[in-house]
Amino acid sequence: MKKPIHALMLLLLAISMPFGQALAENGYSKQKVVYHINYDDPKLQAAALRNIQNHINAVGAGNLDVKVVMHGNGLALLILPDSLPNLPKFKHANADEQMTARIDGLKQQNVKFQVCANTVKGRNVSIDNDLYDVDEADIVPSGVAELAKLQHEGYTYIKP
Amino acid sequence: MSSTDDIDINAYVDGELTPEERLEVLDALRKDPELAREVCELNNLKSQLELAYAQPPGLSGRSAVRKRPAWLTLAASVLALAVGVTGGWFAGVNDRAGDRLVVLDPQGRGQAPATAESDETRIVFHITTPDQLAAGELLDEVETMLQAYQRDGRNLRVEFVSNGDGLDFLRQGLSQHQERIHQLAESYRNLTFVACKNTIDRLQVEQGIEINVLPDAEVIESGVSHVVERQKEGWAYIRV
Repeated sequence: MKKPIHALMLLLLAISMPFGQALAENGYSKQKVVYHINYDDPKLQAAALRNIQNHINAVGAGNLDVKVVMHGNGLALLILPDSLPNLPKFKHANADEQMTARIDGLKQQNVKFQVCANTVKGRNVSIDNDLYDVDEADIVPSGVAELAKLQHEGYTYIKP
Repeated sequence: MSSTDDIDINAYVDGELTPEERLEVLDALRKDPELAREVCELNNLKSQLELAYAQPPGLSGRSAVRKRPAWLTLAASVLALAVGVTGGWFAGVNDRAGDRLVVLDPQGRGQAPATAESDETRIVFHITTPDQLAAGELLDEVETMLQAYQRDGRNLRVEFVSNGDGLDFLRQGLSQHQERIHQLAESYRNLTFVACKNTIDRLQVEQGIEINVLPDAEVIESGVSHVVERQKEGWAYIRV
């Protein structure tokens, strides 16, 4: 029983050898990752963005395809503090100067921020007025469905 | 055979025991809550390790990876059946409500492993926090998905796994969504709710009360191991 398995492993190893050259100098190959944010604690959200930056630093921006999917309370990350009084279904609006600077920095390194349409509709959020730097292209029909779809496409799921 | 003292719980956690030995350990765990806790901790540790080192699904030729050899599937079914049957017997002996060790549901609901051949979308939600407001919103979103898939004739399976602080979601008297869960479970056969027996056992020891889960929830040994298995089977994983 064991021999054919060994042979198979050697074969797989031989096939995968050429791909070894695709490894960056830091030893990482290309990664596709989706970060999931559905909580509104500003400290946790800031920590999540730091995680992503550290991830980029380790793997290299060119080696990394990162998407951040937000739904439910997670939208608080992009809600402008001035809009909070208009949004009774949110307790936090975390898109202050410091947070938006972090977001800008990540966007420059090709991180995509995606927002759940169900939450936008269900909580009466105005994309143009209440959210920081979001347009139609950043809206996904369902945060949950998007998380499932991305994993199916080979994205690794991380919930910081 | 061996007594409780010399049972190698590491071998048990690693799944290296024969079915007979496994049942012996299960029996010992029932009688010794302290040992059960120890196993729970080992299980969690092992699952975290597996998660940390698991190849993310889809990165390495998923179809090749996912096809299990037939003998393995058969062996797994036999083992599952053995544990299921004997688990039922244990439950009868101990007469504890909701104490089911069923690995295979009689209707094939919930516990049957997903097959690589199907074009189903499968999502496992791992509920580990006591935030029931978020869980309620999630139920809304999942119901929308269930409706959409049903309308379009697409296959979808959704499973909620509760353990640790997340068990409240499925506990009688503590769940804020008992009615909703019942109504959804009745309406959608492709939706299942699973509670972790390790957590139930731990709470029973710590609080000295009987922990009852909702009648719509199935009870499995380890919630953490279960979500790891689901990911290996190709399910999308979402932690709540």
